[in-house]
This record gives sequence, structure tokens and C-alpha cells, in this order.
Amino acid sequence: MIYFAVGKGRIAEKCADLLARCGVDAAPLKEETRKLVLCDRAGKYGFFLVKPADVPTYVEAGVADLGIVGKDTLLEENREIYELLDLRLGECRLCLAGFPERKDVLTNPHLRVATKYVNTARRVFEARGEQTEIIPLHGSIELAPVTGLADVIFDVVETGSTLKANGLVVLEEVYTGITARLVANKVSLKLKSREILPLVAALKEVVQ
Amino acid sequence: MAIPKLPAGVQDVLPEESRCLDLIAERLRRKFDENGYESVASATLEYFSAYSEIRNALPEERLFKLADLNGRLLVLRPDATLAISRIAATKLSQGQNRLCYFTSKFDLQGGGEISNREILQAGVERLGESGAFSDAQTIAFAIECLKTAGLGDFVIDLGHVGYFKGVLEECGLSSEDGELLRRQINRKDGENAERILKKAGASAAAVNSVLALPALFGGAEVLERARALTQNARAQSAIAHLQEVDSLLSRMGYANYVSYDLGAVRRLSYYSGIVFSGLVRGLGAPVLSGGRYDDLADDFGKHIPAVGFALGLKRILIALERQGNLPARARLDAVIVCEKGAEEVGYREALRLADAGKRVKLLASYYGEADLSQTEAKERFKATRKGVEKL
Repeated sequence: MIYFAVGKGRIAEKCADLLARCGVDAAPLKEETRKLVLCDRAGKYGFFLVKPADVPTYVEAGVADLGIVGKDTLLEENREIYELLDLRLGECRLCLAGFPERKDVLTNPHLRVATKYVNTARRVFEARGEQTEIIPLHGSIELAPVTGLADVIFDVVETGSTLKANGLVVLEEVYTGITARLVANKVSLKLKSREILPLVAALKEVVQ
Repeated sequence: MAIPKLPAGVQDVLPEESRCLDLIAERLRRKFDENGYESVASATLEYFSAYSEIRNALPEERLFKLADLNGRLLVLRPDATLAISRIAATKLSQGQNRLCYFTSKFDLQGGGEISNREILQAGVERLGESGAFSDAQTIAFAIECLKTAGLGDFVIDLGHVGYFKGVLEECGLSSEDGELLRRQINRKDGENAERILKKAGASAAAVNSVLALPALFGGAEVLERARALTQNARAQSAIAHLQEVDSLLSRMGYANYVSYDLGAVRRLSYYSGIVFSGLVRGLGAPVLSGGRYDDLADDFGKHIPAVGFALGLKRILIALERQGNLPARARLDAVIVCEKGAEEVGYREALRLADAGKRVKLLASYYGEADLSQTEAKERFKATRKGVEKL
């Protein structure tokens, strides 16, 4: 049996379609259910529905053999797992965004960055040798510069409409090509290669 | 009173787990001894400078540090192989040594998961020997050790750092880009690897061979595929070496226990030749890892080619539990209850049985019959003024 960890929500449905095209019975992923562990009818695949940020954790521990998760989460979690395939789903960018002009420069010599991606932001600015104040937030990141909590935000941008509605602009695209990825546990890939490799090959066919 | 707590990443080992760990260690200890490995124990405390100034220094942020009375910086043993290489280079006169150890190593950043900052290891190092047969013997011994520990359904996944280094030479990358590339390859992330290579302007042939790396794993046929992918001399000699080791392992009867992965390129550490890890079904992380480190001792003043591996005892125990193979608990041979006034009678009987090689527990009478029935033992005795009677 191959266990998949799949992020709940928007991406789960798209993944179900993708997997279905590879001959995986992923219908359980589309069911309205409160169950967290789902199985296909043939008993070949099991699915765990988890919070997207938790996918790398399940896969690293080997509880799930495979996972589907956004590149943004992979960058943030930085786990010991294999990243096998770009599924080219849900493409977006990780950007720095803010007002076109910075405010309160005199009393704020260091850039204040609001973000959900605390580790990634820290790495980006550290690599540039820039000292910044990272402000961890869990949602509605755009509110931070609007209310003066932060100077800029570091967040995923898909269409940019939320930014626009709040008078913000993309200042810099830090990572482009943020898409859903197929990831694998390092031991599972070796010990279950007979089941996993054909699936990876089939997925590769479908996404290309 | 506040409940005393432990820091993250360390654990107390309670009796039942401790008994199992001891048993695994005991089996391994006998195995090591039967194969001519001599036990060594390195000091738990060492000077920070001993390991911060070598070429393949461990990342500073992973070392547990303390200050000595004179202000010098100390570290808790960060790596058993480093310590043994230092000992061999500076304190052992003969060139060849087969050494083994049971010890903890400490990793400041191993937090989170329990027992990740103090890691209990058993391991062997074969110092002063080189060649394919030495490598093959080490891998065969690793397989035997996992069997001895009680594990089934495992493989030793084998690679060679020379292959990646050779392929990398062809790309003409800076050392930073090389390290960046290694990380992508180690993650089997071909796409980001391609981006790095294109940015650096590597040749099409070089790009081709690097991008093949993430898929270069599987049975021995992988070696043929790998050989066809590059002309680089270093990479070719790595493949030739692995093929020789593979042939030896097959002839020694271990073909079914070995798989290959040329894309497994860990942080460029002290390893210089073959590298391997032990993978067990049902456990997401390796239970064993090792490799050849021919140049490590140079940093301690002597050239000693060497190969070795370490087993993670806690991980082995987790795998045993998941496989339903925990070592069974042996019952006591006898329990003796003493009546008041007959303590010496019971005591002498306990001594006599122990001398005869029996495992005995002596209880005072006031524990009573109820306690006695809960104590698992093959036989029960009662000591009275008149002597010892069986219950």
C-alpha cells in the first residue's frame, strides 16, 4: 500500500484529477467526508488529508510515502525528503510587496517584513546580508503594511488582486515558479520503488 | 512543586526500553568481538578547536558547547568517527586497527523529535586498510550486524562520492554553486539543478549527466547506466570500484541485500569513496550509515585510509517494534520470600542459586503472597527457620 499525504483544500481536488489520469483511483479525495484517512477501493492507495504545511512532516517521518505540496511550503519547511516532480499546478510567485514608496524611513532604519514564510524570509535576507525585522503572521498578510505593522510583506502572489485592492504593488519577485510538487520519503522511494516509480513516470507523462 | 522537565530532544530510557537496547547492544557487542573488533571509548568532552579547524569541519551551529575553567571552548562528542580517527592518528602506534564503540553523540540542532540530540550509536571503524575487498567486507558486516540486531526486510543502499565529484568537475561550477547543486541532487530535484547548471553555462553533456543523477538508483544495472553517462576519469573509476565491490558482494552471497544510488550525495563531508546507508521497511530514516574516509586522519597528522559505519540503536529498536520483533523478556528463574527471622536462610539460598547461574530475586516476607504472585518467575520458594520450601 502506498500512502499519500495531500494538502486539504483547493489543491486536493486538482491532485485527484491528476492522479485519476494516471490510473489511481483518487475518487475518495473528492468525497465530502470528515474522515482523515481515505482508501481507494482496490486497497492500493491510502490518502491522508492534512494541512498543507504538514505534508513535508508526514513524508519526512515516512508515515506517508508520497506527498503533494506547494514549493512555498517545501522552501519554508526545508525537510529531508525527495522532490520528484513539478506537477505544474497552482502556479504562483513568492514576492516582496508593499507601497511604491516606503514610509517612516527615519524611525525604521531596518525593513520590517510581515510573512507566513518566516524561515524562507530569514534565509533570503540573511543571504543578502540585510538586517530585517521579521514579523510572523498567519493570514491576511496584506493588512500589515496597510496598518503600519510592517513595511513590506513576503508572500505568495497569484493574480495580485488582493495586493491591488489594498494599494500594494509587487516590489520584487523572489521565487517564481512556485507550484505543487510530488515529494517522497527517502526510504520509501527505495523500498517501494516497484510501486512508486511507475506512478512517477505516469505523472510525468501527464504533466508534460 | 514544579514538575522537573527535560530539554527538547533528549529522553530518559525507562526499564523496558533500556532492557531492549541493552539486549541489542549485547548482541552487537558479541558480533563485533567475534570479528576481531576492539572496543574503544573516546572522551565525551573535547576541545572545540580539535574539530573546528579541520577541512571538513562540522557546522558550528550543531555542536554542543561549554566553557572550560580557563575559558577555552569545549564540545560534547559531536561525531564518533571523528573522535576515533583522531585517536588512531595520535595515540595508536600500529597502522592497522579494527575498532568498535558504543557511545552517544550530541547534535545541538537535532531538536524536535525525542532522542535526536543525544544519539546512541554502535559502530565499527576499519583503519589502515583500503581496496574493494575491504569495502565489501565492511558492507557484508553491516548486513550481518542488522541481522544480528534482529531486523529483517532491509537493504544497504550504496553510492560513491567520486561519481558525483567527477560529474561535477565537468560542469565547471564555483564551489558555492557546486554545493547548491549537490543539495538539489540530494533532494532528487532535477528541475532546480537544471536551472543552476544553465545559469553557470555548463555544457550540454555535463548538464545531461548531472540531470540523470536523481534517477540513478536501483539494482546493480544502475552502474552500467551510470558508466555510459560520463567520460570523466574520476566518475569512471568510482563506477569501476563499485562494480568490483558489487561482484565481491554477489560472490559472498549478499546480492539480495544491496541496492545502488549514485544520486545520494550527502553534505560534502569526510567521506572519500563508497558511502552507504541501511534502509528498513517501515522506518522513514536510515538505521545505519557509513562509508570510506581515506583523508580524514590527515587533519590529525597521519594518513590512514579507513572505512566504517554506525548503527542508530534507537532507530533499530523502533524498527524492531514495528516489525513485531522486540526481544522477548526472559522470566526470572526463582523468587524467594523470607519469613521474618529467616532472612539469612533465604539470602544463602539466593547466593547458592546465583552461583549456579540462576537469576534470582529475594523478597522480604512483608511483601506478602499478593506481591509474590505478581513477580514472574519459573519457581517460587519460601525461606523459613526450618529451611527453604518450594511454593
